[in-house]
Amino acid sequence: MSQAVTAAHTSAIDALHTAYVAALDQGDMAAWAATFASNEASYFCISAENDRRGLPLALMYDDCRGRIDDRVSFVTKVWAGTYQPYRTRHFIQRLSCESAGNNQYRATSGFMIMMTPEGGATTILTSGEYRDLIDIQGEGDKVRAVFRERRAVYDADVLPRYIVFPF
Amino acid sequence: MSAHSTHAYTGEAPKVWPAKVNQIPKEIFGDAALFEEELKKIFYGDTWHVVGHTAEVPNIGDFKTFDLGRVPLLIARGKDNQVRVFFNSCTHRGNQLETSVSGNRKEFECPYHRWLFSLDGTLAACPGSKEFAPDFKQENFGLVEVKTDQYLGLILVTMGKNTPPLKEWLGESALPTLTALLGGDGRLKLLGYQKVRYASNWKGYNDNDGYHAPLLHTGFRLLNWQGGKGFQRMTENGHVIFEAELKPATGNGFLKDPSLIAFKGSNPERGSVITQLFPMTVMTKHMDVINLRFAIARSHEVTEVHYAYFAHEDDSEELVQHRIRQSSNLLGPCGMVSMEDAAIFQRIHIGNQTPGFAEFQKGVTSLTEIPTDVKQNDETGNLPRWEHYRKVMGFKREGEQ
Ligand code: FES
Ligand SMILES: [Fe+2]
Repeated sequence: MSQAVTAAHTSAIDALHTAYVAALDQGDMAAWAATFASNEASYFCISAENDRRGLPLALMYDDCRGRIDDRVSFVTKVWAGTYQPYRTRHFIQRLSCESAGNNQYRATSGFMIMMTPEGGATTILTSGEYRDLIDIQGEGDKVRAVFRERRAVYDADVLPRYIVFPF
Repeated sequence: MSAHSTHAYTGEAPKVWPAKVNQIPKEIFGDAALFEEELKKIFYGDTWHVVGHTAEVPNIGDFKTFDLGRVPLLIARGKDNQVRVFFNSCTHRGNQLETSVSGNRKEFECPYHRWLFSLDGTLAACPGSKEFAPDFKQENFGLVEVKTDQYLGLILVTMGKNTPPLKEWLGESALPTLTALLGGDGRLKLLGYQKVRYASNWKGYNDNDGYHAPLLHTGFRLLNWQGGKGFQRMTENGHVIFEAELKPATGNGFLKDPSLIAFKGSNPERGSVITQLFPMTVMTKHMDVINLRFAIARSHEVTEVHYAYFAHEDDSEELVQHRIRQSSNLLGPCGMVSMEDAAIFQRIHIGNQTPGFAEFQKGVTSLTEIPTDVKQNDETGNLPRWEHYRKVMGFKREGEQ
């Protein structure tokens, strides 16, 4: 670790992870988007196979804030009523967190996503690793963390179903 | 065995097909025994099957593994730059030779008794061969090649004995569209994959991929995305070709980032093309997305699709970047205008476990003649493929002797 993570920053980062999980597990896409920096942010969801082989193609490739907002519009407005609903539970495990200078941190964590289709049993959707660039905003009591970039690298070589929600 | 199966198909007495050409019996979508018969007659029969593109293995020693039905394949580029397809099985006791999905090797070594195969399949070493059977000859034990042929880098295989030559099987009328789809010359560059399993019979997947249902996609309306003029054409052996001129969508103010659906390519008159090859391969070039969908019929209720995306070797860096973001977000199992199709594959499979028929309506002009001339958005383009399937499987039509 290049620089110690202060307790305030640690708890802000933990709160960010929690907010992310809570948003997705409640199917709240607006809350999901709110965990990203409002000006410049990106979200990528990519298979471990592509990632390992240096293939750039992703399952979700939101390389600007506009794309993140457009994903929210698609899930909530365009796709509504066309897919078989499923609920998710995300579990995450912090793996590393290092200062990237200037109120920024590089963090990795493991994740597992359980899914339950309506009327069905719970199974694993996939596991994977989040690789994040996190911004700390504000000071004192108002310290808050947001994703500047989140890269969800999922383990499944073959996903068990089509995908509606971000990982 | 599906809990939904209505009849156990023994493979002996052919199922009877309705006299009306626009009806498909739903019982064929949920039948485990029928799937075994389809493996024999179609997947291991006199039909070509798309298993990859040479751009997936661009360098000497590159390989990928794939399955044709349940048969494991190993596709490798040799030192002579030739891409070969082998059964992925050691010629000694039959051990699966390569376990990785893809990679690069100098040779393939079977760990069981250390037989070593060159990239061209030759058996290069087999320790202890002095004690082998009296008739053992090393040169007879190279990897077994599957009959293969290529069209602009597209790799097809067949296990049938009487499969027609590839070009004949593809058909003259399909070639211009397929050529356009493969970038004109097949010099493609792999961008990556999206791989997914659908809880759907392979025929249900295939009957609803490629074919386009504009009413399904709210996105088209919201983005003011209208299909351009085009055509749909079928071949006798079950292929379907679509071509449409591209009318770029403005996004209608709906998208914050309309650059995603920009068209930066050079041939808008063929902006949207699809080649759908019997039995289950869909390939498309839509806007700047070049997408080959390598599909595997896993069982009567599971279909696996590897969506592979490509750029062209001559693309500018900027065009490649554009292709990456458009390809990632548009047409796959989570794509802006394709996630709904994926949902249909699974829902139609559930719906197909009921008695009766899948009914084709739009564009049907005759109940007795298989259509040969259909309009761009007609459902009837699928009927010649169904007719081909019926014949290959040997199902008689009601009233037929
Ligand atoms: S099975 Fe491969 S070396 Fe014996
Ligand atoms: Fe569609």
